[in-house]
Amino acid sequence: MHLRRAAQRFGLHASLAVVVVWSILPLLWTFQTSIKFTRDVASREPVLWGYDTTAAAYRAYWFDDPSTNMWHVLLVMVSSTLIVGGLLFAARRTERPMYFNLLAIFAIIATLVYVEVRWETSDQFEFFINSVIVTVATICVSISIGLLGGYGLARYSGKSGAVILISALAFRALPRFVFVLPFFIIAKSLGLLDSRAVIVMALVAVNQPFTIWMLRTFFLEVPKELEEAAMMDGATRLQAFVRVVIPTMKPGIIATSLFTLLLAYNEFLFVRVLAPTNWTLPVGIVALAGGESSKGITEAAAAAVSITLPIVIVIIMFQKHLVKGLGSGAVKG
Amino acid sequence: MNRRAFASFVMPSVSVMTFLMVIPLVTTIWLSMTDLFLRNLDSAPFVGLKNYREVLADPNFWSATRFTLLFVVVTVPIEIALGMCFALLLDRVDRFRSIYLAAMLLPFIVTPVVGTLLFRNLFSRGGLVSWLIELITGEPFVVDASNVRILIMLHAVWHVTPFAFVAIFAGLQTLPQERVEAASMDGARFFGTFLHVTLPHLKSVLFFVAIISIMDSYRVFDSVFVFAGNRFDNSHTLSVYNSVEALDAKIGRLGKGHAIAILTIVGIFAALIPFLVRSYKEQIAERT
Repeated sequence: MHLRRAAQRFGLHASLAVVVVWSILPLLWTFQTSIKFTRDVASREPVLWGYDTTAAAYRAYWFDDPSTNMWHVLLVMVSSTLIVGGLLFAARRTERPMYFNLLAIFAIIATLVYVEVRWETSDQFEFFINSVIVTVATICVSISIGLLGGYGLARYSGKSGAVILISALAFRALPRFVFVLPFFIIAKSLGLLDSRAVIVMALVAVNQPFTIWMLRTFFLEVPKELEEAAMMDGATRLQAFVRVVIPTMKPGIIATSLFTLLLAYNEFLFVRVLAPTNWTLPVGIVALAGGESSKGITEAAAAAVSITLPIVIVIIMFQKHLVKGLGSGAVKG
Repeated sequence: MNRRAFASFVMPSVSVMTFLMVIPLVTTIWLSMTDLFLRNLDSAPFVGLKNYREVLADPNFWSATRFTLLFVVVTVPIEIALGMCFALLLDRVDRFRSIYLAAMLLPFIVTPVVGTLLFRNLFSRGGLVSWLIELITGEPFVVDASNVRILIMLHAVWHVTPFAFVAIFAGLQTLPQERVEAASMDGARFFGTFLHVTLPHLKSVLFFVAIISIMDSYRVFDSVFVFAGNRFDNSHTLSVYNSVEALDAKIGRLGKGHAIAILTIVGIFAALIPFLVRSYKEQIAERT
């Protein structure tokens, strides 16, 4: 009996290991391509172990100056990660996490400024900065509008609420091309082509249906009595919403922000059409990976790993919120 | 909440959707009936249904439609079935759960164009899988028009399964343990419990996953564009065909592009209307 259970457990973990390999193999393969010399990549039979490693591909991707010391870059990255991680960890244990969070954001900005000033960065670094700005702006605008809308839709019981929700769902189904060409024409006639604002606007719009659905689900879990009590004490509906309801919504806000982050950071089509030169990372890497030369292969691999890393870190930090967000959206939606 | 308070709360959200989604949609319908090119953005002549006739007569449109439908019909069921298997597996272990979860989520969070490149690297010259295939079959493996469709669909399964998996997994967490125990008390085997307890509990989750995956698969663009973009015309989905027609030709046949977009919508709504009606009825029922 005991043995059978042990065998069963072993089988479970073995199958999960297979699933894990299936999930991460492409990234692992590309990672080992990114640290190889081009002579090892070019051979038809893959060199699986014992090869020399190099950071040349990462240097070529991020920096214009071929003499950039990658050890120095690594040192800056690691220490910055440790500082930011430490601050965020400290923020969880204190009464006033706000200050630590602000310090962490400041540390990230300081690192980016340092890299920009200290080394000759490539275009890709500009694209990275664009990615960060577009992502942060999209999250801020999308969530603040979505919070109001989601709350209204959760608390109002009239028919028009249902009409709005279902139309939003219908609009979520529309392919990007329905919007991207009119956006292009409007942006072009307003002279806004190539600006980050247009991309943010477009992303906020296509993200809105999803945001209000998801936030509404989280608002439904907040008891009505909470704001009713505050309104009895003389607060207006808006005051009660801001001071009493919003503070209970932290998990919902984090989960929705994560999905918005994925949407904005990963967007390809809108940026490609609306920004002829002012790209973000996904457009940058597609342009880079177009070539078939071996040198291009390692650099594209380094690019793929570089683009994936920030998002992996964020998701690992907030994994629980992501699962919970999908769960609540799924159960109620 | 009264009507006025509701109106002011949803105002920003509704106006964003009106200005940036409804109005572009109407614009698209209008522009699809004009002879619009990149060079005459301000003065496109009205041509009625000419663009539609042109699109419907274009064999590439039908080839893209066929591949898009094939793509949805093949990938969505596989994704849901695999996601269900993954979720049931993970639900039964406690140790290392969050590590497994993080690894299994990876394909879902990776930027789609990057994920496609990661996937393609395995199959390109000197890639791990293409080398293994060569070892087995003895012939060099090259991505070409005959197998690129399979690769596109395999990538989609890799990319979307984690979404189905996480949603189903989250749904499993809300399954009351007593019901499972009661079922096994009654002598139900694993499969019986699954069929009579787990599956009914997951009904609404599966509905949600299905509707979202169908929407997203139908309009898939990024990965197909990277895989087949300018090389394999037979493997374009509707979105990629739309992009090629509207943007990549030097002159930019925007009028035709808009007509394709509208025809694409007609297709998706033919499939979605039953789902939407069902959701609407649920919403109304919730309110009374």
